[in-house]
Amino acid sequence: MIVEELRHSYGAVEALKGISFEIRQGEILGFLGPNGAGKSTTIKILTGQLAPNGGRGSVLGFDVSADDPRLQAQIGVCFEEKNLYEAMTGAENLAFFGRLFGIRRLDSAALLSRVGLADRADDRVKTYSKGMRQRLMMARALVNAPQVLFLDEPTAGLDPVSSDSVRRLIREEADRGAAVLLTTHDMAEADELSDRVAFLNDGELYAVDTPENLKLEHGRRAVRVRVRRGAEVTEESIPLDDPDASRRLADLVSAGQVVTIHTEEASLSSIFIEMTGRELEG
Amino acid sequence: MNLNRIAVVAAKDLRLGPRSPIFLWVLILPVLLTLVLQVAFGSLFDPSPRLGVFDAGESRVTQLLQGADGIEVQVVSTAAEVKDLVQAHDLDAGLVLAADFDRMVADGARPPLELYVAGESQAADRMVLSVTVLDAIRSLQTEDAPVTVNVVGVGDEGLPIAVRLIPAIVMYALMIAGVFLPAFNIADEREHQTLDAMVVTPVKLAEVVTAKGLVGFALAIPMALVTLWLNDALGSRWPALVTVIVIAGLMYTCIGMLYGVVSKNIAGVFTLIKGTGIVLLGPAIFYLFPDWPQWIAKLFPTFWVIDPLYRVSVENASIGDLAGSFAVAAVVIAVVVVGVAAGVRRLRSRLGST
Repeated sequence: MIVEELRHSYGAVEALKGISFEIRQGEILGFLGPNGAGKSTTIKILTGQLAPNGGRGSVLGFDVSADDPRLQAQIGVCFEEKNLYEAMTGAENLAFFGRLFGIRRLDSAALLSRVGLADRADDRVKTYSKGMRQRLMMARALVNAPQVLFLDEPTAGLDPVSSDSVRRLIREEADRGAAVLLTTHDMAEADELSDRVAFLNDGELYAVDTPENLKLEHGRRAVRVRVRRGAEVTEESIPLDDPDASRRLADLVSAGQVVTIHTEEASLSSIFIEMTGRELEG
Repeated sequence: MNLNRIAVVAAKDLRLGPRSPIFLWVLILPVLLTLVLQVAFGSLFDPSPRLGVFDAGESRVTQLLQGADGIEVQVVSTAAEVKDLVQAHDLDAGLVLAADFDRMVADGARPPLELYVAGESQAADRMVLSVTVLDAIRSLQTEDAPVTVNVVGVGDEGLPIAVRLIPAIVMYALMIAGVFLPAFNIADEREHQTLDAMVVTPVKLAEVVTAKGLVGFALAIPMALVTLWLNDALGSRWPALVTVIVIAGLMYTCIGMLYGVVSKNIAGVFTLIKGTGIVLLGPAIFYLFPDWPQWIAKLFPTFWVIDPLYRVSVENASIGDLAGSFAVAAVVIAVVVVGVAAGVRRLRSRLGST
């Protein structure tokens, strides 16, 4: 996926101000940004739902502005809204979307099994919990074994078990070779899943890099040590570039005074705030 | 346009139909409306007077009664059965004719005539049956009747209101299936954002809208025919009737697709139909009020399918008689199709913008 200087405006509001990035096959790009940053607009343009005002996007060699069914045949989209057919069963939902992709005999049971819904295949979606619906949304995005996956907040509001299940699926799809564009508010999720992350705010891209590089670039090479001295617990920061760092750390450990040791690398959340001046939530 | 994808979407809607209240409404409402209007204005619960006849011979009276308009005649095998059926009010009246009844009347012998009348029968039915029986018996006599009755009609000779209501009922059937169903289905998909899920697959928005129209059309045709059949108004010119119904179904379905693509949600469809219902149903009102200037009805686009429908089903018009109306209807359909195409383009851009 290649995005170059992509622009879009809703009337006078500039939603995208010329963003550029690439995603390779098998790569997960975490798209991070607060509400209104332009994440959904980017997905809508790249999935052919919205025509850009400027720049270009190319997915699997197809121009996204062309509304080409050959492109849509190779992408999967998981929306933030649970837009399923509530009156249909889980299996019927998958079978219907399979047929839209020209798949006459979809193995719905296998897909539902992957998302842990095999035993609810014949129940109507309106009886599903939020987590089950989200997992079905993921299964629906996978009916055509897509080469590119667009996932818009796929774990938002889910319990830890459902979130883990969805994250495992995302990783499996990337391992299969799919390129994944993942939008999320969850920094821990982005850190865990993404090969690279992109910081988007107010229609502008502030950074596109691996979480590791960003943390190294914006964090301190130091360890924070909590030390007990008598009844008192104090904190001590030891810069790793200090020539005495090894000796100081060894002294504390050998004295048996260390309570905890943490690195002082930056979190993605703090880097985001540092770069954009905004909190990620809202 | 990919026919296979259109068929997939249409098949999904048909399969979901029985789970949708609006779909059931489409099937039930025209039948319900017909029954209600027949009760109010028609003859569903106002049957003809029922006369039972036991004829011990082969009286001409029996034949005359069987040929009489406005009464139902049942020939019974025994005199006792006639009495029993009348007593149970399975018949309004029963007549027992002796073996040589006709000869005795012709001879002026004044034979006995047993006419039983059910206690629960209505006075009007008794009167109709008595007069009809006496009239039949008098015809056996060779003498002229003592008076000659001239029937003089007063006032305009018009069709019964039950017949004049037929266009309204059929229009309603077409409107519910052809307009309401596609419009509702499109708006429902948009409201629940399932339309967004579909347009990121190879299916095109125009294919989805076409599929919704096809479902509406496929239901509008049989529902219009069933409604005509229930109202005993199928007429005798089947090719003309089918042509009219197909053109009418097409026009209403296109209007339904137009309403669907311009409505944001289901509430929007209801508002639109309430606001423009007069345009869709207007021509039917003119059949109820023949004194109104009928040229006004021609200003309504749906007149050009409803008037042919009325003329085929009630006046037995042929396809040739209706060519002019069909031409105007085709122009109206073409204009609506252009509107649908523009609406689809507009909806496509709106979907991505919300």
